[in-house]
Amino acid sequence: MLFSLDPRISRLELPESAPAPPDKAALDQFPTYEVFHQRKENTAYVYVGPVHAPEADVAFLFGKEQFSRRFPCTGMWVVPTEAIRVTEYGDDQQSVYDRLPLLPADVLAATDAAVTEAYDIFHLKKRGKAHTHVGQVQATSPEAALQAAKAAFGDQRPVVNVWVIRSTDLLRSDEADRDMWTTTPDKKYREAIAYKVQDRIDRFKQEG
Amino acid sequence: MYGSASTHDIPTQATTGLENEDPILLAEFEARIARGEKIEPTDWMPQLYRKQLTRMIEQHAHSEIIGSLPEGTWITRAPGFRRKMAQMAKVQDEVGHAQLLYSAAETLGKTREQMLSDLINGKSKYSNVFNYPTPTWADSNVISWLIDAGAIVNQMANAKGSYGPYCRALDRICAEEAFHLKYGHDAVVHMATGTPIQRKMMQEALNRWWPAIMTFFGPSDKMSTHTEILMRWKVKMATNDACRQQFLDMYVPKILEIGLTLPDANLRKNEDGVWEFSEPDWEDFKRVINGDGPCNAERIAVRRAAEENGAWVRRAMQQPKAQYVRPLA
Ligand SMILES: [Fe+2]
Ligand SMILES: [Fe+2]
Ligand SMILES: [Fe+2]
Repeated sequence: MLFSLDPRISRLELPESAPAPPDKAALDQFPTYEVFHQRKENTAYVYVGPVHAPEADVAFLFGKEQFSRRFPCTGMWVVPTEAIRVTEYGDDQQSVYDRLPLLPADVLAATDAAVTEAYDIFHLKKRGKAHTHVGQVQATSPEAALQAAKAAFGDQRPVVNVWVIRSTDLLRSDEADRDMWTTTPDKKYREAIAYKVQDRIDRFKQEG
Repeated sequence: MYGSASTHDIPTQATTGLENEDPILLAEFEARIARGEKIEPTDWMPQLYRKQLTRMIEQHAHSEIIGSLPEGTWITRAPGFRRKMAQMAKVQDEVGHAQLLYSAAETLGKTREQMLSDLINGKSKYSNVFNYPTPTWADSNVISWLIDAGAIVNQMANAKGSYGPYCRALDRICAEEAFHLKYGHDAVVHMATGTPIQRKMMQEALNRWWPAIMTFFGPSDKMSTHTEILMRWKVKMATNDACRQQFLDMYVPKILEIGLTLPDANLRKNEDGVWEFSEPDWEDFKRVINGDGPCNAERIAVRRAAEENGAWVRRAMQQPKAQYVRPLA
């Protein structure tokens, strides 16, 4: 039996050594979702990172824990990674919209006639930074949404990369649940500023 | 915490493999880095870049998750409610860092399942300092302050590296580490300036940990072609020696000012401003990192038990039609 300095671990009665377990099965850690947060009221949603979760509700909880636990947050969106239409990446200073092939005229014409849906558009301004929400467009497909985004937001530069997400694919925090974001300031012991140790050091040196 | 990834990256290939890469793509890749632009996951990249970064970020992630164990063990026994809450918050942060880093590594093509398997199979390494125990609360405090301090030196450097997803994860991690450092310092100062028994306890813990701390940044880098290329590609941002010197510069004065001593008679700053010290026992380091340390078996056993105990929950939540998709960024 494994003896640990921590009695709780000794009580687990784990074997001292054991054959290596088999490799994990695919998706043991679940599919991926991408998370966006809003740091302050009335500011744009910004990409914060991925989480692994079995479904969107759980992804939301994991995202809340991972990305809003320590810093101010007033809202969060999650989306399955596979639901994001990604353009190619350009160089810093460029706009990928410049390289966007125009859809054939008949496709665009069909677009006008067909029923449109809302798409959310996110821009990456600089490599290494995070995608930021720039707004919504109405379109019949992600490709058409990209064209609409070019018309609506193409004058913003630089645009290194664009993400297009059908708005109904985003799970968004509810305005009615806003108080879920208000707990952070209570936990002062998680802030560097809560530790004022210099007085004690100075006193120690004086008494020295 | 522990971005000591450079530590265990002994290149396994003799050659860099660069002769097999497309010279035009390679030139574009290098030009991008030279311009100060970041690499994003869908960009072309040399095999060596992908391989080294995967290994480095994965080891960093493992170090966060294993590193949470020696401090986690003190949560229930932390002296006082406030310290218990803070210790718990710190440990939770470290596990969160592992989550961020696994995702960053995944964007390079290795699945999270494979990384976690390699950790519990013993195929992957993590920072060797966590193969040592924390017999007292003071030992936990030494980790909170000085191991985190060493990790911050590494992480601040790596945050300026060339790979976008790693930089994004590190920016977030570094912001959280500010609390760890202050919390750890506060705890050590409290003990070191306390009663004679507290002081003795802290000094003994520091004596136990100092040799491991001196190995934290890894052996002197041999200036091989690998090192040179990895520094040009901004995978490796500073040599192990440079990190160690920076750490000693920043923290030795802070250790001494609270009346603690360091168990190395040769430790001193010479006229050129360079720290001299007794060479760490690298043979012992090798022995421990290869499995023969005081806590290797416990760390892996605890991790395996956690994986096994959670397996039924993961199985129950499995969606039969789910598809694996790499995180985007
Ligand atoms: Fe950490
Ligand atoms: Fe740490
Ligand atoms: Fe930390």
